[in-house]
Amino acid sequence: MRLSSLLTSTARWGRAGFALGALALLAGCDYNFWRMDGHQSTITVAGPVARSQLEVFYVTCWVTLVIFILVGGVLAYATLKFRAKTEAEEKAIPPEQGHGNPLIELGLIGASVLALVIIAIPTLKGIWYTYDVPEDRKADTYEITATGYQWWFKFEYPSEQIAGSGALTTGNELVIPAGRPVRVNVRAIDVIHSFWVPKLAGKVDMIPNRGNFLWLQADEPGYFWGQCAEYCGDSHAVMRFRVIALSPKDFADWVAQQTSPARNVTPKPGETAKAQFASLRTFKQNESGITDKYDVAPLEAWKAKQFPEKGENAALIAQGKALFVSKTCASCHEVRGHGAAGISGPNLTHIGARSMLAAGLIENNAEQLQRWIHDPGAVKPGNKMAKGYLDNNIKLTPENEVALVAYLQSLK
Amino acid sequence: MEAILKSDLHAKDAHAPAKSTLFWRPTAQTGLISWLTTVDHKKIGFLYGVFALFFFLVGGFEALLIRLQLMYPNGTVLTAQQYNTMFTMHGTTMIFLAVMPLSAAFFNFIMPLQIGARDVAFPRLNAFSLWTFVAGAIIINLGWFMHDGAPDGGWVGYAPLTSKTFAADHSIDMWVMGLQLLGVASIAASLNFIVTIINLRAPGMTMMRLPVFTWMTLITAFLIVLSFPFITIALVELMMDRLFGTNFFEVSNGGMPILWQHLFWVFGHPEVYILILPAMGIVSEILPTFSRKPLFGYPIVVFSGASIGFLGFSVWSHHMFTTGMGTMATAAFSLATMAIAVPTGVKIFNWIGTLWNGHISMRTPMMFALGFVWMFMIGGFSGVMHSAAPADAQQQDSYFVIAHFHYVLIGGSLFALLAGIHYWFPLMFGRKVSEFWGKLSFWVIFAGFNITFFPMHFLGLNGMPRRTFTYDANLGWNAANFIATIGALILGVGIFIYFAVMVYTFLKGEKVAKDVWDARTLEWSLPNPPPEYNYRVIPTVHARDAYWYNKQHKEEIAREEAEKAKAEAAHGGIHMPHQSIYPFVASLGLLIAAVGIAVIDHDPSPGFWGKKIGVSMIGGVVMLAGIYFWALEGNEGYHLHLDDEGHAPADKNAAKH
Repeated sequence: MRLSSLLTSTARWGRAGFALGALALLAGCDYNFWRMDGHQSTITVAGPVARSQLEVFYVTCWVTLVIFILVGGVLAYATLKFRAKTEAEEKAIPPEQGHGNPLIELGLIGASVLALVIIAIPTLKGIWYTYDVPEDRKADTYEITATGYQWWFKFEYPSEQIAGSGALTTGNELVIPAGRPVRVNVRAIDVIHSFWVPKLAGKVDMIPNRGNFLWLQADEPGYFWGQCAEYCGDSHAVMRFRVIALSPKDFADWVAQQTSPARNVTPKPGETAKAQFASLRTFKQNESGITDKYDVAPLEAWKAKQFPEKGENAALIAQGKALFVSKTCASCHEVRGHGAAGISGPNLTHIGARSMLAAGLIENNAEQLQRWIHDPGAVKPGNKMAKGYLDNNIKLTPENEVALVAYLQSLK
Repeated sequence: MEAILKSDLHAKDAHAPAKSTLFWRPTAQTGLISWLTTVDHKKIGFLYGVFALFFFLVGGFEALLIRLQLMYPNGTVLTAQQYNTMFTMHGTTMIFLAVMPLSAAFFNFIMPLQIGARDVAFPRLNAFSLWTFVAGAIIINLGWFMHDGAPDGGWVGYAPLTSKTFAADHSIDMWVMGLQLLGVASIAASLNFIVTIINLRAPGMTMMRLPVFTWMTLITAFLIVLSFPFITIALVELMMDRLFGTNFFEVSNGGMPILWQHLFWVFGHPEVYILILPAMGIVSEILPTFSRKPLFGYPIVVFSGASIGFLGFSVWSHHMFTTGMGTMATAAFSLATMAIAVPTGVKIFNWIGTLWNGHISMRTPMMFALGFVWMFMIGGFSGVMHSAAPADAQQQDSYFVIAHFHYVLIGGSLFALLAGIHYWFPLMFGRKVSEFWGKLSFWVIFAGFNITFFPMHFLGLNGMPRRTFTYDANLGWNAANFIATIGALILGVGIFIYFAVMVYTFLKGEKVAKDVWDARTLEWSLPNPPPEYNYRVIPTVHARDAYWYNKQHKEEIAREEAEKAKAEAAHGGIHMPHQSIYPFVASLGLLIAAVGIAVIDHDPSPGFWGKKIGVSMIGGVVMLAGIYFWALEGNEGYHLHLDDEGHAPADKNAAKH
């Protein structure tokens, strides 16, 4: 008797302890998966299009939740109430063999239709609102063309024409004016991609031979995460981009800087090339290229990238500039004003001023940039640059890499 | 009709044709040959089930690898390419090689029994469907053992990612040819089921007395026959692009990738109902049985099933809300999709109505069936959320979609199929799964499933796109991904328990008498396992829940049966179809031809007649030979004469004409 009571109490304490431990584990390890405030959240939105889509979602959510509680409640009640508790009850004379009730059926069909009408009205409004910029805002709209490639994004600014080289072109970081509607024409050349910046707008597919568009607007200046949302081959998961929304003045400054040709750094007579950093460490397969501090103030970090790096070595940069041509980088990439005019890769005229590399995958700093040009295939499986290295038999010594990094970093 | 058929056969028997040496008639009852040549719908159903469960485990293994890769950010379990192969094969395997054939297993085994038939209308065509399905499954999975690897174009195979430019090796060819063969198998099987249900119903089994599972079989079969041609066309076009350089989807020459999406989803959306309607049918059998009440609102449930089938053809573009269709088309497809919620909701109301006032026995099949209703409800509600196009612009291709369709396909289809296995196991094998182990597996599967897929709703709303092999740690996705992987492992344990118990029961389980659940439909009037001829006497049906009625009117039914037995004996006994090897030969020909087309490199060195052409032609010849021999061997069948106790004579051949 005493032993058994001891066992029971032990078991009870054990259970309580287990429950507490589990709770502690949950609390300690931040397992609150229901928080939806990440960089790509569709819930903490930052613009009217995403907000309109979120409102429709909330309507569907509330309507279905109410129905779920009602229907689920009845289902649970029926299951518990009419459950045969004993073997005798199971074998009892069967209940009256009713076949249904047309009035109940019609009533429920009517109620379902009503619930759907509640959802349908905001849905229809939302479809028209999110499709294109509202008439009264059209005059204020800024136009951009975004093209998806395996696996990066090209952004063109048709309203910023540069004499002799057409529209201003950048890659992987889309800079837009805050507070203005932006109409993005989405295109693709190779396979289907999808343009998605969750905090600003739902996705629209970039389909070859099909001219799609979407509109979005960032209410305030900010730094937004975007990602390709249609499976597009090997490196689909790492085809990312950023949207940077700037105040009107900052945006004008940025355009002025971008439309000017690539920056030149002239070495002083007698200056010698010195490596600015330690040799390349080895990276694990699929190692993250983002540090924690990057997340604290990404917009400020991006703004800081607009200014020249500290401790630039002009001679090293000059070496890198020559290597960029001799190692045939220039046949795929454009650096306007430096004689590099390739178009199959991203435009690098102002690469040093971007916050991310390899399509939003790794931070733009010396270490990650060297990692990227050292072995592009290890960072981004299957990408064209890795293939280009093989096809053109490009081999870079550590010294080459350091010089190229210094050069690319100087392109502000 | 019945009488005409019978007398015709009787007349033929009297003039049995001379045995031909050209046509080999296998008679083996055991061993490999008996399985390869069987035309018995129960054996064929069993084989469908075995293959489906095998591929279900393969697909599950692929899923576990996917979850392990995503357990932590920047995972290194798989490479990008391996990951892409895994999700492509997981989707393709689960849909075409697990859930569809498992449904087909039930169509084959249960449907003829439910309508009081002795076999399907075209027994040899049935065997052909089975073996062609196996051939397709082999072709799709062949890449695992080859240098090219298994397909990695996603289960939807969106053009132009599947074109020669972006997928130069043979893996996509194998995917294309494998799906083509599965299409042939599915269409042949479905035509067979349609003819069977329309023509071979027992006397008195009117359409509005058909068990709901048979109704859903009929609707599913129509959906297959009407929707598979679309994917067949799409696959033919893709194959032409890849083999002969046509430009249906070739972007650089003006091809239209969007055409693939339309063709694929005109098939793909009905396909969703092809996966779920049989499940609804199974649940509509189980709930009444274990509530000891007829299905609430039978006509409305049947009508809802049919209207889901019809509406299923008018909503395909809701898979394409983000392709820039314009406002009007988006609105139309949005509203049509919402409309589908009405008949679906009606079914749920009627299932609850069935429970109401019943005597609910909480046995394992009932647990799975109730689990189905709950989970399908959640999946249905997230489906309604997708139907609102603006909201879907955020959800499309995110983990929210993954959560939605796994609630529908695991919580829905799979739960119902697992319920069906438990429910009909005693009938199929005469043994019953232990309640304890059955319920334990249910709870583990139920918990594992929800732990895996519920967090994915949050993951999707938090912006995680699907089909991504890696993610960074700073996006707020770590917790949900970790929990989902733990859930997947639990789900894996649950599935393992389920199958371990199933195999044990099959070998050593408790033997039970017939009609162990006190069920309502005709198949339960048979001894278990059912004899090869199913019904000693073709039953006469008097009411909707036919066997329930028979149990209430035992004397009347016994009298009627005795009279019919005499009449049938006078007509020459029970007519049975002959076994045949030719359906297998025809399928083998298809397999060889598909290998020729999909796997072998074209080597034009001896002119036009390369190895590729040669092997394809040999396959074609073998297939044609199989079909011709099959046509020419005749279909006279033979007769069984049972003694008074209902046993067939020991020497079967003696009974054959």
